[in-house]
Amino acid sequence: MGVIRRHGQFVIRVNPILCDGFGHCAELAPEIIHLDEWGYPVIEPEPIPLADVGALTSARYAERGCPRQALFIERVHEPGAR
Amino acid sequence: MIALTTPYLWYATRATGIAAMLLFTLVVCLGALVATRVGGAFIGRFEVNEIHRSISISAVVFLVIHIVTTVLDTFVSTGPISAVIPFTSSYKTLPVSLGTVAFDLILAVWISSMVKVKIKNVTWRFIHWFSWVAWAISLIHAYTTGTDARHGVVFLAVLASTLAGLVALGWRIFARPARAAGRTALSPLAHAPAPTRTTAPSHFPRVPVNQRPVRPSQRGRR
Repeated sequence: MGVIRRHGQFVIRVNPILCDGFGHCAELAPEIIHLDEWGYPVIEPEPIPLADVGALTSARYAERGCPRQALFIERVHEPGAR
Repeated sequence: MIALTTPYLWYATRATGIAAMLLFTLVVCLGALVATRVGGAFIGRFEVNEIHRSISISAVVFLVIHIVTTVLDTFVSTGPISAVIPFTSSYKTLPVSLGTVAFDLILAVWISSMVKVKIKNVTWRFIHWFSWVAWAISLIHAYTTGTDARHGVVFLAVLASTLAGLVALGWRIFARPARAAGRTALSPLAHAPAPTRTTAPSHFPRVPVNQRPVRPSQRGRR
């Protein structure tokens, strides 16, 4: 009752051709995205559970706040998980 | 209906016009800051971008009220067609048409930003450059159409908007965008040493093609 169970995991992916190194994503999702020496994103490669609401919210902010629409959230489907 | 028979519509037109002028000036200034990637220490870059987006929405709202009240007002013979097609208003034809052209350009910029995900970034940026044209035309529209734009506070507002926008345009054109976002104060690399120069100096010795060392992968091609 009232509990939304989010199964599965997500990763943030970046389209390196669209990315222009604005650096908004690292400000919006600092726990997932860091910037390299030239300002381009270095993204946490480990899938994050969708139940981690804080991380998912940050990821959505980063996805929306990208000035080049270069980020997108991708669900990871594990064969064993439900 | 009391609003339609009294000068309140006319007052609303003038007030929202001035407000829209000031807001659009703010929007182009913030847009210049977004494009040159200002931010990091005191305000995040994403915050500048969000303020630019949200103020542009409120500016469009003021602009729509400005146009709707102008169309509804019976004192000026500016119909609904004149809101989108220039040179159809018999009242101050040229000044009102300037506002019409500016509105059409703002509409193009707005729609292109709405469908930014669908279109190419080059296309979006090309259309977005027209916001400067729209801003300039709208200032001329404000000065020529406004009934009290030649003196007093409104003249000062027009003057301040012009100067602020010109400074922003100069900044947009001449300021070097801070491309390395890793250098902002919010990032862990803020105090890292600056990257070394990657472009070759002009006196870099140029080796003729036939004297360059041959890589194993290229061996078959020569």
